[in-house]
Amino acid sequence: MYKFFKNFGFVVLTLLLAMVGLAGAEEGVTDTEIHIGQWGPQTGPAAPWGSVARGTDAYFKMINAQGGIHGRKLIHHMFDDAYNPAKTKAGVKQLQEEVGMFAWVSGVGTSPGLAVKDYLMQRRIPWVGPSAGSLHWITPPHKELFAVYPLYFAEAKALCRYAISNLKKKRIAIAYLNDDYGKNGLQGAAEALAAHGLKLAAQVPVELKDADMKPHVMQLRKAKPDVVLLWTPVPHAVKIVGTSKAMKFAPQFMSTSTCSDFPLMYHISKGLWKGVIAATFAELPDSNDPLLMQYKKEAYGQFAAKEERWGLFYYAGIVFSEPLVEGLKRAGRDLTRESFVAAMETIQNFKGIGGKVNYKPFNAKDPYCRQGMQEIFIIECLEGGKAKKLTNWMAIK
Amino acid sequence: MLDFLQMIVSGIAVGSSYALMGLAMVIIYKTSEVVNFAQGEMALLSSFLTYMVLEYHGFSIYVAIPCALLFAILLGCFLEFAVLRRAKEPNVLGLIIITIGLEMILMGFVSWKFGADHKTMPFPISPYDSVAIGEVFISSLEILNLIVAVAIMLFFFIFFRYSKLGLAMKATQQNLVAARLMGIRTNRILMITWGVSSLVGCMAGLLLSPVIMHPYMMWDPMLKGFAAAVLGGMTSLPGAVFGAYILGIIENLFGGYVSIEFKSIVAFVIIVLVLCFKPSGLFARHYVKKV
Repeated sequence: MYKFFKNFGFVVLTLLLAMVGLAGAEEGVTDTEIHIGQWGPQTGPAAPWGSVARGTDAYFKMINAQGGIHGRKLIHHMFDDAYNPAKTKAGVKQLQEEVGMFAWVSGVGTSPGLAVKDYLMQRRIPWVGPSAGSLHWITPPHKELFAVYPLYFAEAKALCRYAISNLKKKRIAIAYLNDDYGKNGLQGAAEALAAHGLKLAAQVPVELKDADMKPHVMQLRKAKPDVVLLWTPVPHAVKIVGTSKAMKFAPQFMSTSTCSDFPLMYHISKGLWKGVIAATFAELPDSNDPLLMQYKKEAYGQFAAKEERWGLFYYAGIVFSEPLVEGLKRAGRDLTRESFVAAMETIQNFKGIGGKVNYKPFNAKDPYCRQGMQEIFIIECLEGGKAKKLTNWMAIK
Repeated sequence: MLDFLQMIVSGIAVGSSYALMGLAMVIIYKTSEVVNFAQGEMALLSSFLTYMVLEYHGFSIYVAIPCALLFAILLGCFLEFAVLRRAKEPNVLGLIIITIGLEMILMGFVSWKFGADHKTMPFPISPYDSVAIGEVFISSLEILNLIVAVAIMLFFFIFFRYSKLGLAMKATQQNLVAARLMGIRTNRILMITWGVSSLVGCMAGLLLSPVIMHPYMMWDPMLKGFAAAVLGGMTSLPGAVFGAYILGIIENLFGGYVSIEFKSIVAFVIIVLVLCFKPSGLFARHYVKKV
């Protein structure tokens, strides 16, 4: 009888200990692994931005090759959502519920991100560095959502200020994609101009499906602007610049960071991108920045596919992931989502290959407590797609 | 007034690229009553292979383009011979579904082989050089597009009306069994039709490639070409071309005077209206099959 109770007690104790252990384990974290999810369009019209996810993948592999973080390897789960919010939602749910992610990183696009934002936030799953400079990530702020990409809104402000103060231009027009991305730029431009007592000379919406840009250029030309801001996808921006040339309309074109991959833009515009001014959020591809050179050698050089190009959007995947890695390092070996969020909140003046990243303890009334990068700099496209820095890093509020 | 004239000229210019795609679709439809949704991607594959031999293998454009046109003919013939002809008890709907499948396969292949980065094809005529008629501009490439579209339309108009092969193609469309009884090798006619249609589509692709190339570049021109063909009449070659010009002009005027935001959907509204009120299109004669 004594033996029976002894064995029974042993079994119960073992089960209790196992339950305590399970209760303490964090989803997506094991003794040797941390599971991180990411989506990105590898097919479809937005596929050129798919290099963001591949950049993150190479970066994680580099970190694993260096021994991982506190003895754990980063297991990167990347899927192709083709920039289709329905696919993003299905893919995120599947990975989260079947595999279990500790956190999510990057994720290209405002619309795909919006499709899963509530899902992730309701479950209090951390998400670092959505690959879009949308105001939606921080208005309202969420405790587990850490934005990295500088706001499109702020980029538009910076470009307008530069046009007015440095180039002495007064008539500014904008061609913008008729969605959240374009409207953020429109809002920023309108606010920056209003601060100088000016108004937009023209605001021309562009639809994703528009292939012929002549009607848009005609509307822009009619307003006789000195500067035209391009808040559109890459093909539309190139076509507007090209059609403007064909119609002998030659304002100063300025564009958002999404069109700041100058070697690509110069090539596909057959050289017309020369002279275009853009905002950007990371060091230039040929910069001598030691960290960038290290990434180029150890992440891109070792783990990129043969045909992969070392371009802005490839290493943007690293820019958006650096704060996540920093947070994981700061959280220590006892990693939980709570400790990770607390660690992220301690990040101040963190400098990777982008602008400085700052977070603050969560304050529902302060959107900027979750907007990590607020610095950009302005560049001009030169012959051959080279870039000239027109400003240093500057913080735009 | 200047704006109005510019919109008309721009409409004609953009209509030319729709016209070539519309012509390509009409050529197949005239023979088999099949709407070929793979038309754009057949042109896409030919265009990307041209880009490959130009950029990666350093061929001259004057060698690459004839090779591309030849490849396009072979591709069209191959798809008809190897895929469509193999369909068991084919009906028009089944064949259309097959073309949708082909469209996905070809686009997937191009995406896989060439990646998603935007590209541009080197071409002797810049898409951004223009000719000015007073204050009205038209790009040099658009002029070439216009000339090619009108020349192809005239060629095929005469070809279908006066050549033996053209008449055989028309006969095949109107009554396949009777055509076969008259000694027409209808299978061969269908294969040639696909080859010729692929050739015309390839020209449209090659004329769009000097602007920007990406795996989705032919989907919109194909839809607009289809809309133009429906507007003009799916069995009328001049109808497809004039439909394309009308569509281009309406799009531009709508964008200029009504709403630039809804400019791209005008084509599809037109499809709906034409199918409701004049299903045979503006320029096609409505054939009534007699018992």
